[in-house]
Amino acid sequence: MLLELKNIEKSFGENKVLSGVSFKAEGGKAFGLLGRNGAGKTTSIRILMNVFPANEGAVLIDGKPINYNKVSFGYLPEERGLYPKKIIIDQLIYFAELKGMKHKDAIKAIDYWLDRLDMTEYRNKRLDTLSKGNQQKIQLITALAHNPDIVILDEPFSGLDPVNAMLLKDVVKEQITQGKIVLFSSHQMSYIEEFCDSIAILNGGKVALCGNLHEIKRDYPRDRLVVRTENPAAISAAFGDNCTAIGNGALLVRLSSPNDKKAVMTQIIQDYDVDEVKVFEPSLNDIFVEYAGDNAKED
Amino acid sequence: MKQFGKILKFELKYFFRNKIFVGITIFLVLLIAIVMFFPRIMALTGREQSSEGVANLPIMLVKADDPSQADMVQEIFAASFTDYNVQIASEEIDTIKEEISSQKAECAFVMTGPTSYTYYVNNLSLYDANTEIANTVLQQIYQMNAMINSGMTAEQAGEVMKIQITSEVESLGKDQTENFFYTYIMIFALYMVILLYGQMVATNVATEKSSRAMELLITSANPTSMMFGKVIASCIAGLIQIAAVFGSAVVFYQINESFWGDNFIIESIFNIPPEILIYMLIFFVLGFLIYAFMFGAVGSTASRLEDINTSVMPITILFIAGFFIVVTSMSSGDVDGTFIKIFSYVPFFSPMAMFTRIAMSTVPVYEIAISIAILVASTVGIGALSAKIYRVGVLLYGTPPKMSAIIKAIRKA
Repeated sequence: MLLELKNIEKSFGENKVLSGVSFKAEGGKAFGLLGRNGAGKTTSIRILMNVFPANEGAVLIDGKPINYNKVSFGYLPEERGLYPKKIIIDQLIYFAELKGMKHKDAIKAIDYWLDRLDMTEYRNKRLDTLSKGNQQKIQLITALAHNPDIVILDEPFSGLDPVNAMLLKDVVKEQITQGKIVLFSSHQMSYIEEFCDSIAILNGGKVALCGNLHEIKRDYPRDRLVVRTENPAAISAAFGDNCTAIGNGALLVRLSSPNDKKAVMTQIIQDYDVDEVKVFEPSLNDIFVEYAGDNAKED
Repeated sequence: MKQFGKILKFELKYFFRNKIFVGITIFLVLLIAIVMFFPRIMALTGREQSSEGVANLPIMLVKADDPSQADMVQEIFAASFTDYNVQIASEEIDTIKEEISSQKAECAFVMTGPTSYTYYVNNLSLYDANTEIANTVLQQIYQMNAMINSGMTAEQAGEVMKIQITSEVESLGKDQTENFFYTYIMIFALYMVILLYGQMVATNVATEKSSRAMELLITSANPTSMMFGKVIASCIAGLIQIAAVFGSAVVFYQINESFWGDNFIIESIFNIPPEILIYMLIFFVLGFLIYAFMFGAVGSTASRLEDINTSVMPITILFIAGFFIVVTSMSSGDVDGTFIKIFSYVPFFSPMAMFTRIAMSTVPVYEIAISIAILVASTVGIGALSAKIYRVGVLLYGTPPKMSAIIKAIRKA
């Protein structure tokens, strides 16, 4: 399954929120939708989920306009919230039924997920008796119980302790393995890097950068080396201004041309006692700041 | 449609699990039970009282300078004032006053002539009818004596005095003395239920928004289904509550019918013509829906529960204004006045105004049909508009937007 947003335009009154937003997300892979607050992520998600229509553009599945009766969505909104005063199982069944599940199937699926997320003991309790992290796990069930084709997770890891974060990671990996399209929106870049094959960075309602994360990184000029060594002083002295310490005993050596890469690497290995030499690839964080920061460049 | 059914079921469940809803219903049924069993309880306790005799009744003193007048007055007063222990007083007026002040006696009649007296009482109640009874009695005694003095026998004079006028009133339209009470009760029930449930719908929507459950709801269900599901669920809950209260009233009345005797107010209330009940149902449902839609729409524009009270104010004022106009017309007896006639076609007022006219006056069928048609069309229109406001409103956070901003947003959405 291939999901495609094509040239989406959206304005609220005079305020243009999205202009020409396009990206593609593939089944069996996770897609990261990044951007600063107010960049247009939630609006894009709402248009994708048909909460309101776009002024222009189209949402396509396998090249054809999406049929909302056939494609199901699971959504974990950034603004978490269910009915605080209502019994957990009641509201989970309600949401599953709204998504088209039969009552019996809904109970079966919910009980599976309650067990999977270690939440069975809270089944018949009121939501507001649970901790924030546990409430979030309940909310995750509303996104997954009906076995959706497209799973949209907005900041899924915020508020989770390391153990629960690990549990969620396993669940997300499982969803990806099942061939679903998993759409991630997060400011925690490490998770995006861990899961997502492709990303789109939104800035001011436009796609500032889009593509395969690995390729994006590869496309950066390969003119810097990361050198890890016990004795940085000697290398620093040899490379002078072209060498900067980047912490944890690592140095960044700037080359005059990417063509020098092989020669310089060989030279460093031969002349110095080093633990590791590799070509520097920017982290997603660096890329994000570059494309969505205050001095962002236009793609 | 499927979603609408699910939402309706979920919302209805909310009402029946809501302790306040269940509590109020039980409280009202109990209250009705107490009211309807009241005559039976009074009859039981009343019997005990009567066995205790005249001694426990409040004392009424009668003083006349002429002993023969005193005897006669006491005899006739004793017959006329059965709620009192009538006694002749021979004390001075000051002593009598003192006895009343110290509450040994409740009141006193001091005769100052055959047709004049002074009535002494500690606190004169608004409902004290003793002087009126005394006036009638004394007038009769005077007329009796006059007739006997002019040569009639006591029997003849008695016959003249006993003469009763018989009359019959046949109202060709509605009898307002009969239908005033049930109309009033029904209008009041409509008023209470619409305000109570309207507020509940608004709060319900605002709660979903403030708890952010809305974020998930709008991506799971169609806003129109959500709006209609909520409003119709509360309408059904309201009808069930009314049915429980009125139904239990009918049942309790039937159990205690013999104890109510000929109380015509109660009789009129429990003998509502069936067509009035049908009209009540029609106007109740339509009136409820039109207001509940508005309350729901307003609720969707509020981000916090605290904003609800100020946001719903215009609707509440509109509704209360209608209620007052209708109740004022009812009390004046003029339910076909220009004002109420116009109001019986205006959708926000017609549920109360037209219903009052139907119940208390004779309204041509075509007028009723026009009023209902306007109301149905307006309810559908307001329902559709509310769903649109809801669709836009639920996504707006922050200070409640102005109406103009919402209309703009609906157009541009």
